[in-house]
Amino acid sequence: MSEKKTNILIIGIAGGLAKILAGLLVKNKNYEITGVDPRSIKEDIKHENITYKQMRFTRGNFERLFRDKEFDVVFHLARMSHSNTNPKASLAQRLDLNLMGTKRIMDLSLKFGVKKLVILSTYHVYGALSDNPVFIDEDSPLKASIKYPELRDVVEMDQISTNWLWKNKDNINTVVLRPCSIIGPQIKNTMTQYLTSPYVPICMDFNPMFQFIHEFDMAKILERSIDELPTGIYNVAPDETVSIKKAKQILNTPTVPVPSLFLESTAWLLSNSLWQFPKYLIDYIKYSSIIDNTLLKAHLGHEDLFQYSTAETLELSSL
Amino acid sequence: MIKSIKNKILTPHNYFDDVFEKLLEKYPNGEDPWGLNLEKAKKSIEYIWPLYKNYFRVRVFGQENVQDQPYMVIANHSGQIAIDGMLICTAFAMEIDPPRILRAMVERFFTALPFVGTWGAEGGSVLGDRQNCLKLLNKGESVLAFPEGVRGVAKSTSEYYKLQRFTRGFYRMALTAQVDILPVAVVGAEEVFPWVYQAKGVAKKMGLPALPLSPLYFPLPSPIDIYIGKPIKFESDLSPESSDSQIDIHVDAVEREIQRMVNEGLEKRRNFFANVKR
Repeated sequence: MSEKKTNILIIGIAGGLAKILAGLLVKNKNYEITGVDPRSIKEDIKHENITYKQMRFTRGNFERLFRDKEFDVVFHLARMSHSNTNPKASLAQRLDLNLMGTKRIMDLSLKFGVKKLVILSTYHVYGALSDNPVFIDEDSPLKASIKYPELRDVVEMDQISTNWLWKNKDNINTVVLRPCSIIGPQIKNTMTQYLTSPYVPICMDFNPMFQFIHEFDMAKILERSIDELPTGIYNVAPDETVSIKKAKQILNTPTVPVPSLFLESTAWLLSNSLWQFPKYLIDYIKYSSIIDNTLLKAHLGHEDLFQYSTAETLELSSL
Repeated sequence: MIKSIKNKILTPHNYFDDVFEKLLEKYPNGEDPWGLNLEKAKKSIEYIWPLYKNYFRVRVFGQENVQDQPYMVIANHSGQIAIDGMLICTAFAMEIDPPRILRAMVERFFTALPFVGTWGAEGGSVLGDRQNCLKLLNKGESVLAFPEGVRGVAKSTSEYYKLQRFTRGFYRMALTAQVDILPVAVVGAEEVFPWVYQAKGVAKKMGLPALPLSPLYFPLPSPIDIYIGKPIKFESDLSPESSDSQIDIHVDAVEREIQRMVNEGLEKRRNFFANVKR
């Protein structure tokens, strides 16, 4: 068979989810995978079909990579999250990477004839507000930055991607995914850390509902989005929901109940030492933000979409 | 029959277990996406039940009108602090078979209140949002709404038992989800605070939702009767997007029916020293 292989670019390969995705994709012999990240990359998966490159997306060699490889599929999983950065200094940095980086990735994809672009956003864009309806659908307004401008980068990145997506829909097939909290042993996001660490403060006067997706299920959906999801925006979440207190119970991690009034000050007090939880994410452990998965299920079906139940997901994440 | 009711009162704990076992079949996780928590709901009801039975001495009439199907439950609102919602929900959980958790639609500010908001959500209340209402009805849940809103609660003594104008939203919801309307009248809850003057002008100037002036701010043990009426079929000729004037005819009919039930209930109610309306 001299058929041309499908060239896939995974941006943000140093991240946990990207590694799992790469692990899934290398099983397909028709895929040729390139992983890039500005961070240092541990080459966990060694395979003839995968090559790693450490580079920044704003440099010329990033464009050269697109020109040389003629990618068919690009996964943008490099949204800079809030966990491992100093929240005060990094809004500018996050805005720069998340907005400029995303814009550049989109433009290069269009310029060099990429057929499918998959961008990973987050359910955080909808915001956690006391008057959120349950099951927020994809058309709902993105209200995350109403209260906390620190979340601007998350909302703006989603917005430029989705505007761009419809504008260029005739030339490139773009999918924006807004998953619920992705948790798992390989993922080091704020929520996983919050859930698995013992003695973190928990709101005593609120008990919001959550949706959790296991990292492996999420990677599976990313893989399937190559062929099965048409251009559009999709919420990614299971049907199951669980309250934060019950989740903590399942994980069997002890908590310190704090009235919501003092939660912000507690977060601020502990922010440099014990508990690194950004102030602007506190509403997410106070109010629910439950998203609607109808559209995703319409395309990917109901069966096997989520292999892990919420309880299993939680138990596995503490390993 | 009498014996079984006696058993319920004498051994409420077993009865709570029975009710919540049945509810657990409906909500196998013990939770639902709107924040319901059966364990907490059971605890709340165990606290509310003595108040319900012995303090407000609630009587429920018309249980036979409730079938095992979802309803849009519409009731008159009264009693300054919306104690009626809690009592109606208790009645539907404890005194109707099969038991059901009524999903009370609450005001926006309520869900943001510390402790109270979560306590409500764990007992089944949800934000009064159209999307929530439709999703719940489509899931086969029954929704409780007070179309008078805050205007119904914040009344002066002179306006007691006079229904305030109903809003139309509930009827459009019932049409969209194609569920019947179950009218409910609560009699006696107004006299929980029998002498009240609503200083509306001052409240408005101060930016408050209401400013009740009263010689006493402690809820009195006014005996309360809950009347469940016959279900009102939604009008199948109408669409949810019919004009206001078409919808209003039916909204008014529901309002009149509940007013009629209230008036009838007033005739039959028990004596209480503070009854201000007959």
